[in-house]
Amino acid sequence: MGAIWDIIGNEVTYSSAMRFAVLLLFAASGEWVAERAGTLNISVEGMILAGAFGSAVSYDITGSIPLAILMGAFCGFLVSTIQANLSHRLPADQFVVGLTINILILGLVGFLDNVIEPSVDKASQATIPGLASIPVIGPALFDQPWPLYLVYPLVPAVWWLVYRTRWGLEVRASGEDPNSADVSGIRVNKRRRQTIYLTGLTSGLGGAYLVFGAVGAFADSIVGGRGFIAIAAVIFGGWTLKGSVAGCLLFGAVVSFRLSLPDQGYDGINTEFLTALPYIVTIVGMAAFAHRVRPPAALAKPFLRGLD
Amino acid sequence: MVEPGTASGAPSGSATSNAGPTVGSTEGSILTTNQWRDDPPAVEVVGITKRYGQVSACDSVDLVFHRGQIHGVLGENGAGKSTLMKILIGLVVPDAGQVIIDGKPSVITDPIDAAEKGIGMVHQHFSVVNALTVWENVALGDQMRLNPEAIRDEIGDLSRHYGLDIEPNAVVGTLTAGLRQRVEIIKCLRRSPRTVILDEPTSVLSPGESEILFEGLRRAVEDEGMAIALVSHKLDEILGATDLVTIMRRGKVVAHQKTSDSDAAGLARAMVGRPVALRSEREVPSSETDSPKRRPTKPKQEHASLEIDSVHANGDDGRVLLDGLDLKVYRGEIVGLAGVEGNGQRPLADLLSSLMSLASGSVRVDGKPIACGRAGAMAKAGISVIPEDRHDSGCVLEMSVAENLFLADPNLVARRGILDHRKMTYRAERLIERFAISCEGPDAPMWSLSGGNQQRVVLAREMAHHPRVLVAAQPTRGLDVGAIEYMSEQLRQAAAAGVAVLLISTELDEILDLASRLVVLSKGRIVGEMSREAVDIERLGLMMGGAVP
Repeated sequence: MGAIWDIIGNEVTYSSAMRFAVLLLFAASGEWVAERAGTLNISVEGMILAGAFGSAVSYDITGSIPLAILMGAFCGFLVSTIQANLSHRLPADQFVVGLTINILILGLVGFLDNVIEPSVDKASQATIPGLASIPVIGPALFDQPWPLYLVYPLVPAVWWLVYRTRWGLEVRASGEDPNSADVSGIRVNKRRRQTIYLTGLTSGLGGAYLVFGAVGAFADSIVGGRGFIAIAAVIFGGWTLKGSVAGCLLFGAVVSFRLSLPDQGYDGINTEFLTALPYIVTIVGMAAFAHRVRPPAALAKPFLRGLD
Repeated sequence: MVEPGTASGAPSGSATSNAGPTVGSTEGSILTTNQWRDDPPAVEVVGITKRYGQVSACDSVDLVFHRGQIHGVLGENGAGKSTLMKILIGLVVPDAGQVIIDGKPSVITDPIDAAEKGIGMVHQHFSVVNALTVWENVALGDQMRLNPEAIRDEIGDLSRHYGLDIEPNAVVGTLTAGLRQRVEIIKCLRRSPRTVILDEPTSVLSPGESEILFEGLRRAVEDEGMAIALVSHKLDEILGATDLVTIMRRGKVVAHQKTSDSDAAGLARAMVGRPVALRSEREVPSSETDSPKRRPTKPKQEHASLEIDSVHANGDDGRVLLDGLDLKVYRGEIVGLAGVEGNGQRPLADLLSSLMSLASGSVRVDGKPIACGRAGAMAKAGISVIPEDRHDSGCVLEMSVAENLFLADPNLVARRGILDHRKMTYRAERLIERFAISCEGPDAPMWSLSGGNQQRVVLAREMAHHPRVLVAAQPTRGLDVGAIEYMSEQLRQAAAAGVAVLLISTELDEILDLASRLVVLSKGRIVGEMSREAVDIERLGLMMGGAVP
């Protein structure tokens, strides 16, 4: 049990928890908006991977991290245009499209990675004076590679967009009652497409962050199912932004816990079990919370005019 | 000057207020009506026709809505009134005819276009989003920047002006049906429409709520010269709230008169009335010439196969669906359940298909109580249901005829969970022959069959169980004449063989043709009963219209 206390008291644990959580935060903040609009795009995984690879290649060519991050967002957006237009302009099933995209991107990136082999550096550490010396959580929040800080304005911006703008109102109406929204003159599928584009942008950013902020290298296995965990975090959070953020932080903490245990010299716990821990927590978390919250009424239901 | 009129403008009073119950307001209301007489009519439809297949939903309908008047449109289900209104707000495109708005011929492309041309609609099934607040719903569809303060102020102004009080920050889903409708009305009025269509506005309202609604409408009409089209099948509502009434039947306008010249009995007769019906002499109630085969003999009511005892059920949204419904169906009789759609037909059919649980009450078959809501319990007890929508819950279009025939009970053709294909084909062939299903064979996909033959498959499947009770919900909807005749004959034969048949239908003709006993369903309960011999069309119409005589 001593190990757990060592970990809980250790600032390094929080720093690494934050680093893992932030990738989820990037992806989940976009995915949260999309789900509020009533669309469940499981292609988040592919969007993150495309963003990560795009930014890695871009850095390899230009040597500029800011440019590479922009490129990452753009690659995520490109993937989202496929998802959005196939499932919300053409009547293809959103899950089939999402699944196909994930497999396609994984194969494509694996192939291109072998051809290009982009080399990548980690972004520089940026310490925010004063705040970084807050005990326990200070270093985790304010002494990190600089791309991590992009998530700080993103989360409130997404909240403002959904709750304070006409666009957000129309997004929420589309996710709750597309027929009523349609009768009120809202182009439901257009709004849904836009939320998927947003998810593409934020997931692409997340991918770039993963490369430059968290890992400092690229491999085609870099995302490793975290796109799905981001979706789980939104569900876990009961389709509120607050809850989604909490879900991301929790899942991040679990990953960090797994990494910290062996580092602290405790090897009594089976490492395979530890590897599975984040996913077990995801499943337990979903089972515990999924029935207590109310999803957007039209979540994952395609909207076609004239059909009730 | 208008005030006294509106004060007495409760639904019961306002009809008479046109005739002039209050001193001074007689002149007043006539003046208010005249004030807009010189303007072109708010909306005029000329020769509007809309066909669905061979059925005319609207058959060269001419109708004029004048400013400053509440114009009632009365009719049974399928009379074409809803289709006509959908044409006016651009949800349905007419096959022929013209809509003239304020004297200008117009084409309405969609609800937004209709709103821009000054036509607003308050829908029967509300188009408000339950998860949003009142002000958010009202703002939905705006084109400008979201300004919550301004919208809340506007809602306050409209509430005060029309006497429709509402809390702008309340979440719509937490409100009562009456208040939800109020949100919808405010949303509609905020765009200052010149014509407002209300589709069955009081179907979910309490009498008190209806009264308040009509007071507000009367104010809008008299103060601003709005034209209101009130679509309804409720006689007292039409009599109480309107200035003019148009009665539609089978897609045609059959009568057009001043409300003050109308009475409930006359309207009921015109709405369901036989004189214009296509039916032949044999169905005239008092006719002595009925052949014994046609006229169901009145079975002895000694053995109740189906007993439904003070059944209460609520919907997910808390709405009362069945409200103390009592019904007995005896062995060998056909009971016709008449009523306007939406009064509990669907919940009752769902209940008898084990699709719904009860709040209270019981269902018994041959005296044995059934566990309502447990999957398959009703079917096991011997209740077979021909569902209302055969595509939705009657059959699987992508599967073969044989598969559909044994879908409900594959054990008939399977051994230890494995389908015996030869047995299935053999038994399917026999059913196809017995029910004269016209198809290429047992393996023909269901979608390749005509509607009538699909319905035969459903019937064959249900009859294969040798049911004790057969529930037929709208069994002939959308079928052609021959298929209707076949279905009717099958129901008669089932009854003759001792099955208790419950025919749920909104087609009065069908019920009169088949049933030996009629019960009338209104607001989730049985409001009246009469035997086929002693049928009184006028009283039936009154009961269906919610005005229990």
